[in-house]
Amino acid sequence: MSYQEKRTITTIVTGLLVLAAYCLYAFNPVRLSALTPGDLKPWSVTMLIFIGIGVGASIIIQIVFHILMSISIAIKEKMRNMECEDKEIEKTIGVEMIEDERDKLIELKASKVGFGIAGGGFLLALVAIVLKYSPVVMLNILFLTMSLGSIIEGFVQLVFYRRGVWHA
Amino acid sequence: MPKKIEVTNNIRKLRFFANEMTQQELAEKAGASRQTIIAIEAGKYSPSLELAFRIADVFGVQINEVFDHKILE
Repeated sequence: MSYQEKRTITTIVTGLLVLAAYCLYAFNPVRLSALTPGDLKPWSVTMLIFIGIGVGASIIIQIVFHILMSISIAIKEKMRNMECEDKEIEKTIGVEMIEDERDKLIELKASKVGFGIAGGGFLLALVAIVLKYSPVVMLNILFLTMSLGSIIEGFVQLVFYRRGVWHA
Repeated sequence: MPKKIEVTNNIRKLRFFANEMTQQELAEKAGASRQTIIAIEAGKYSPSLELAFRIADVFGVQINEVFDHKILE
């Protein structure tokens, strides 16, 4: 499995963990019973906090992952050739972790799917308002579909890495 | 509607005749990742024209000696 695939998996796992944490916290019956129906402020605050947590966690996990991968590549290189120099190890790390045109194409194609899901979520949120659901439902549909869109985008990237990707 | 084409390549053969050049060496020289070279060889990715020329330059051959195409029915 390539570095990019492993990185995508860590992104998916981070997204899933943050989404699960949000669902556990936001839809907790004790919390829900304490909220005033139709009051958007506590929901907005919760979502902003979880967006912050998501961004922060994603940055930290990516940094840790990058460090661990570099160490693992260095160890593998040393085990393969005990006399290899640091420069060679750095070069191997560079070749393994380089992001080239194929990675960019995969990202682009997968992001189309992610944006599609987020766009679908926006339409669904509008439909919810038309059907006279509370604005809280609309807000949650927007947040959940955006989060799901980003997770599914990761899965689509993995599929492209496995099955191949072509222009057009 | 234009017919679909499949891009084929001779990279494996060219690597063999270039002293069994490794995929990693080719990746370094062509400025791509090893995974991309693996995908191109396996027909799972068609490179951009720029990368295709860089790969041909690594072997010192014309681009049509590296890549060819088949028209799919």
